[in-house]
Amino acid sequence: MPPETITIGKSEARKDGWTKASGQALYVGDIPIKHVCIGAVLRSPHHHARILAIDPSPAQMIPGVVAVITAKDIPGEKIHGPLVQDQPVLAMDIVRHMGEPIALVVTEDKTAAEKALAAIQVEYEPLPAVFDAEKALQPGAPQVHPGGNLLCEYDVSDGDLQEGFSQAEVILEETFQVPRISPAYLEAESSLAYFDEDGTLTVVVSSQKPFDDRHHIAMTCGLQDEQVRVKSAVVGGAFGGKEDSELHILAGLAAWITKRPVRFLNNRWESFLAHPKRHPATLHYKLGAKADGTLIALEALVHMDTGAYASYGPAVGGLLTEMVQGAYHIPNLRVLTRVVYTNSPYSGAMRGFGSPQAHFATESMLDILASRLAMDPLELRRKNILQPEDHFFTRVQVGDTARSLPLILAHADQARQRLRQLPAAPGKQSGVGFALSLQSMGLGHRVPDDSTNRLEWSPEGRLIVYLGSPELGQGMQTAVEQIAAETLGIPYQIVDTIDVDSRISPNGGVTCASRMTYLLGNSVILAAHKLTEETLNYAARTLNLPRAKLEYRLGQVILPDGRQMPVSEFCGRAAEDGIVLGASATFSFPYPAERTPEHLPIGMPHMMHAFGANVVRVEVDPELGTVEVKDMVAIHDVGRVINRAGVEGQVEGGAVMAMGYALYEDVCLKENQRWVDSFTEYLIPTARDIPENIEVILLELPELSGPFGVKGIAEMGLVPVAPAIANAVFEAVGVRARELPITPEKIALSLVEG
Amino acid sequence: MLTIEITVNGTYQQIQTAPNRSLLDLLRDDLGLTGVKDACGQEGECGACTVLLDGKLVNSCLVLAAQADGREVTTIEGLQQLERLHPIQQAFVEAGAVQCGYCTPGAILSAYDLLMHTPHPSDEQIREALSGNLCRCTGYTKMVAAVHHAEKELSHAS
Ligand code: FES
Ligand code: FES
Repeated sequence: MPPETITIGKSEARKDGWTKASGQALYVGDIPIKHVCIGAVLRSPHHHARILAIDPSPAQMIPGVVAVITAKDIPGEKIHGPLVQDQPVLAMDIVRHMGEPIALVVTEDKTAAEKALAAIQVEYEPLPAVFDAEKALQPGAPQVHPGGNLLCEYDVSDGDLQEGFSQAEVILEETFQVPRISPAYLEAESSLAYFDEDGTLTVVVSSQKPFDDRHHIAMTCGLQDEQVRVKSAVVGGAFGGKEDSELHILAGLAAWITKRPVRFLNNRWESFLAHPKRHPATLHYKLGAKADGTLIALEALVHMDTGAYASYGPAVGGLLTEMVQGAYHIPNLRVLTRVVYTNSPYSGAMRGFGSPQAHFATESMLDILASRLAMDPLELRRKNILQPEDHFFTRVQVGDTARSLPLILAHADQARQRLRQLPAAPGKQSGVGFALSLQSMGLGHRVPDDSTNRLEWSPEGRLIVYLGSPELGQGMQTAVEQIAAETLGIPYQIVDTIDVDSRISPNGGVTCASRMTYLLGNSVILAAHKLTEETLNYAARTLNLPRAKLEYRLGQVILPDGRQMPVSEFCGRAAEDGIVLGASATFSFPYPAERTPEHLPIGMPHMMHAFGANVVRVEVDPELGTVEVKDMVAIHDVGRVINRAGVEGQVEGGAVMAMGYALYEDVCLKENQRWVDSFTEYLIPTARDIPENIEVILLELPELSGPFGVKGIAEMGLVPVAPAIANAVFEAVGVRARELPITPEKIALSLVEG
Repeated sequence: MLTIEITVNGTYQQIQTAPNRSLLDLLRDDLGLTGVKDACGQEGECGACTVLLDGKLVNSCLVLAAQADGREVTTIEGLQQLERLHPIQQAFVEAGAVQCGYCTPGAILSAYDLLMHTPHPSDEQIREALSGNLCRCTGYTKMVAAVHHAEKELSHAS
């Protein structure tokens, strides 16, 4: 039993719930601002074309048009990119994907914006385009960038592959394909730029990384970072897709040039075409095993289509490579991953960051092997799971977190047996499938990975948390407030969080990579200890007592005679003296030497991991090929539950998002050579599609370096779902899906072809 | 331009508007009711713009402002009574059914409409009622639970 807590583990209601449920919450599009101009983007109608001429003058003549901006108007850097500088702010001589920004219009109203966009004259010379990563690497393929189409390559191995395959008693080869996925947060990208009271260029962003946005905006405008102020609005979902600065740069630039307030709101189709998505990939696997199911060798060749620009593609390629191993000990292993430029809309960070792709292949492959060996897929996994003393093929030691695996398998087994009892509806065939998952936390070895926050007592004795990283909707703020309250022994209700504002907030880095509760929680604990010290020092001074005689407990200062004085009393006095009682702290991701050998075959391997599983029961209609997910059990080791409803919400939300990955979603090129770019064609799961029963089982095997034992949980819920569904479909109708999404047509076709 | 007469959240108003605008634009841009959202580009696909028109659930992006002439509109802003959240709003917050919140106003209005007509809905009826409101964060499970919470609250109250 965990010890009694004040707030840890409880489902405290999030503090922004009230404003959100009442419609008062201000997202970027809702912020009232006088005489704000409309910003709109002229986007490429071509997949690949040379720009021969741009004539903005017809648009400039339209009443209500304030400015038309093209690349030549940019005062600073014209190229940006989070990892690789390859993306023009506005296209200059070439466009590389449909939807690429070419010009901006700033207008007094929407009608003028529409007219102005239509009036800009652009002369194009269309070029041949390529949309497939493997084809893009063939000789003679259209070149997307002058340096060639191979953006980067990872080749990581462990053991001796040849030796491994020579010992194998069964060898399987399979190719898997996963689609391009839109994060499809309900609030499309949005940005509002204006000049604040003292004339500073201020950009209010819906973003995962306001401080980086500030840097890119400043570079583009030819300013120093400090000359730009960024603020975080309420964010309507992000899931990795709001790690790119594109629209914020455009908004900052438009305001800087026109000296007017300007708001940019991407339309849904713009969000589909011009913001990052989850990478589509082709994964070719060759797996060798002993007849008893012991895995002995795996060789994987992966091609990822990163689209026209790199975005976070190189980092996603790295993590995908790492995740191919899954939760298994495979002594001889090689993964070769190629991240390739094409003329597709670009891909980048999205929930799972390479892990969902790898898991679909690995977890499907294991079931294929089990079926070949006539073995129970669960027994096959039990035989091969990682042990704490094992190392990943990146050479990073697995460590204690692997202790969760036998428990996860036991829960999965129980769930499986229970779900197998359930009958199928008439005319349907039922199948139960499952998959294990591995997910990393943090950015990876050698990548600066820290977070800073500041705590202050308000004059009335409430605790104020200045977070340097934005809340995206996932509930990180609530978790951090609970950790702060628990550490200081005060009620959760008196902790308030201030949204990111570069003028007052510390730089807390990017909200991403399932790292925030872990990092911020740790830095909040550090800051809370400093704040206690600061408070006692102040109390000692005002009371004229030696500091050593005072103690702090549960929001009270304990005097030598045992009397207690509430902290609020000192906060009030300090405020009158013009003193703020506050403390800042930074926590950096630890890279313990004993778990990281000198030689790392991959540049930035991830050091911390958690395991989980998903068990589903599907019903398949053998005539129509439709798949319904009827029951789901999600089992995850979360280290420690901070807010139960919040963690469950992350797991459930991730799992349902993954149902879309498994069954419906694909941003693909249609026959008319246009991309799927609306919710009319791109169906995400609705309330009607969810399983009738979703059970979430949370295991709590503490991460010793985590605040109260926390592990990162934002991505893990999604990862095992798609292969679990594919495995269940196989059990139901004997069709092995090697390609996502598993559409009714594909199943019906396989059933007909037998 | 034409003048329409419309009662929004109990207040009668006369508004000048271009005839081809959507009710969604009118509510957001002219009346500042930004709890009404657009998440699909006004294509009738997301339900974030849900309002009640003469007590009937509609996607306000699919209604022309002119069609609202002489009618009554309730938005999320009209649901709460003064400083207090409506029990359905409260239930959404307490059940953890609110994450990013962008879908929340629309989903709450759909839940409200359901409970007005079906005071004791089954899970399936709830899922059906919410099926026009896309949510990318919650997986809907906690929303279904929230509607059951609200159902109990409301039946105690009545
Ligand atoms: S804005 Fe999406 S349905 Fe109306
Ligand atoms: S809570 Fe984010 S879309 Fe529903």
